[in-house]
Amino acid sequence: MSASEAKKITLKSCDDIEFKVDIRVASRSILLKNMIEDVGETDQSIPLPNVNERVLKKVLEWCEHHKDDPQPAIEDSDTRRRNTEIDDWNKKFLEVEQDMLFEIILAANYLDIKQLLDIGCKTVANMIKGKTPEQIRETFNIQNDFTPEEEEQIRKENEWAEDR
Amino acid sequence: LAELLDSCNNEQLVFVSNYISPRLKRDFLKELPIEISLHILSFINDPKTLSRASCVSKFWHTLLNDEFTWKNLCVRHHYRRRSSVSLSSPPSPTASESSDLSSNKRSSHFSYKDHFRRRYIVESNWKNGGRTLVTHISTDVGVVTSLQMCRNYIVVGMDNKKIHVFGAFDGKHVKTLTGHEGGVWALQYIDEVLVSGGCDRDVRVWDINTGQCKHVLHGHTSTVRSLKMKDKRIAVSGSRDTLLRVWDIQEGILLHLLAGHEASVRCMEIHGDLVVSGSYDCTARVWDLTTGQCLHVLHGHYSQIYSIAFDGERIITGSLDSTARVWSPTSGQCLGILQGHTSLVGQIQLKDTTLVTGGSDGAIRIWDLETYQCIHRMAAHDNSVTCLQFDNKRIVSGGNDGHVKLWDIQTGTSIRELTSAGNAVWRLAFNDTKAVILLQREGKTIMEVLDFEADS
Repeated sequence: MSASEAKKITLKSCDDIEFKVDIRVASRSILLKNMIEDVGETDQSIPLPNVNERVLKKVLEWCEHHKDDPQPAIEDSDTRRRNTEIDDWNKKFLEVEQDMLFEIILAANYLDIKQLLDIGCKTVANMIKGKTPEQIRETFNIQNDFTPEEEEQIRKENEWAEDR
Repeated sequence: LAELLDSCNNEQLVFVSNYISPRLKRDFLKELPIEISLHILSFINDPKTLSRASCVSKFWHTLLNDEFTWKNLCVRHHYRRRSSVSLSSPPSPTASESSDLSSNKRSSHFSYKDHFRRRYIVESNWKNGGRTLVTHISTDVGVVTSLQMCRNYIVVGMDNKKIHVFGAFDGKHVKTLTGHEGGVWALQYIDEVLVSGGCDRDVRVWDINTGQCKHVLHGHTSTVRSLKMKDKRIAVSGSRDTLLRVWDIQEGILLHLLAGHEASVRCMEIHGDLVVSGSYDCTARVWDLTTGQCLHVLHGHYSQIYSIAFDGERIITGSLDSTARVWSPTSGQCLGILQGHTSLVGQIQLKDTTLVTGGSDGAIRIWDLETYQCIHRMAAHDNSVTCLQFDNKRIVSGGNDGHVKLWDIQTGTSIRELTSAGNAVWRLAFNDTKAVILLQREGKTIMEVLDFEADS
């Protein structure tokens, strides 16, 4: 291991908690990776105004686990979308309250961690798949704000996709 | 708070849980930035889920109408924006323009959702719906020898000397071209120009729109068994007299006589300035149309050649020796031998690196020409495969057993029979939304046009 890979940087969550992390771990985030490359070595902590301690801890846990993964090649977006599999570790990692999942997705988006964003989005997609509208409402606590007439009309519009 | 909960009984805890749990839920699609919401939807491939999701709430309905999601879905399902180019067998130069009309009409306010919806319904109609547009029952008995369906017309050649012309949109009978003094065995048309040949040894050039016979081209001394057009000016005929003739069909004159085969010329294909011919002398030949020179003689088959395909890159020949061979048109070398059929390989269609063959053993085989491997083998018919056609989704095959079968080309699995069985299927052709089937049923010659279009 070269000296630079063992280097650590300090991240500061929006609620002012500091995390000392390996540069390799932090570099899973393209935002941080670029920042580190631009700034060079620094002892100053990097503030992350959009991420709180609870979420940052979780995201860093993900980065730690994936620190040795090859950096994803620049895949075309369609290849990313085609792959709807989530491996067991990630599945377990994302077995969290919806609120936490929501925050992880936002953080992954902000920190530009594409793989984490993708598995987060896939997890939500999987919560939608195969459900009736009523089941989807229940899953996400959504109010049905259609009038009965509107609902009937929209159901008719979308009838074509039901199995015949 | 923990103390408070500790002091609750189960009933109270259930109440607390039911009270709290909805509050821990999030309406992800509504609360996330819209680009992330759309990213989530992009992981959903099935239209059923997407359609149901659009019934959840007003916000979801709006989001689910976003073109991005449906455009993705179109890409994923290979629903190209222009109704996909239909392959026709026999391949025809006009096939590429055959199905663009409907999309052109809509392009003023194109919606990917509508496009997806239409294509999806067409797909599902192929699988388990569709309707019979017309059924023609011929009053005079005859064997159907040739069929072509393109943009405007369905043209049917018969061994009773007649050529019937039907409208491609409604399947209605338009006219009958009479003039041949023997059975018609080969024909092709491009736009309004139709060329036909048969037992009377003549090649006839027709204007389909007026029904007028423009030229009668004499020369062959035996039945014209194959016929192909390069364009509206040049056509080539192949005959049992062992010769091929290159005609200027506008002027009505012979350009070249291609001599060399030692037996009947059974099949032929044109690409660019090259024509390849397959013969009962067990060889195929590559000719230059412009000079009339024979460039290569393809030796290898042990028995008569019955079928041929040629796309400029590869020549494929199907033979009574139960193999198909792949040849290079530039070197004339045999690149591969495709073994597996146990009888005559009479049906061939080629598209890129996919080859589909049909045999007198009743089998259909799908080959990958990069590896020369057989990818799927289907025991399709109880008797000879008499006709087949495929596109990037499906194969339709007809057999001497009277059945017309639809197959998934990716998996090689049977989807269904497209119509009720007859005694024998003569010919078939299909495009994105229609299929034409000519078969004998209860002793009568029947033409059925099936329609899989979505009702708008």
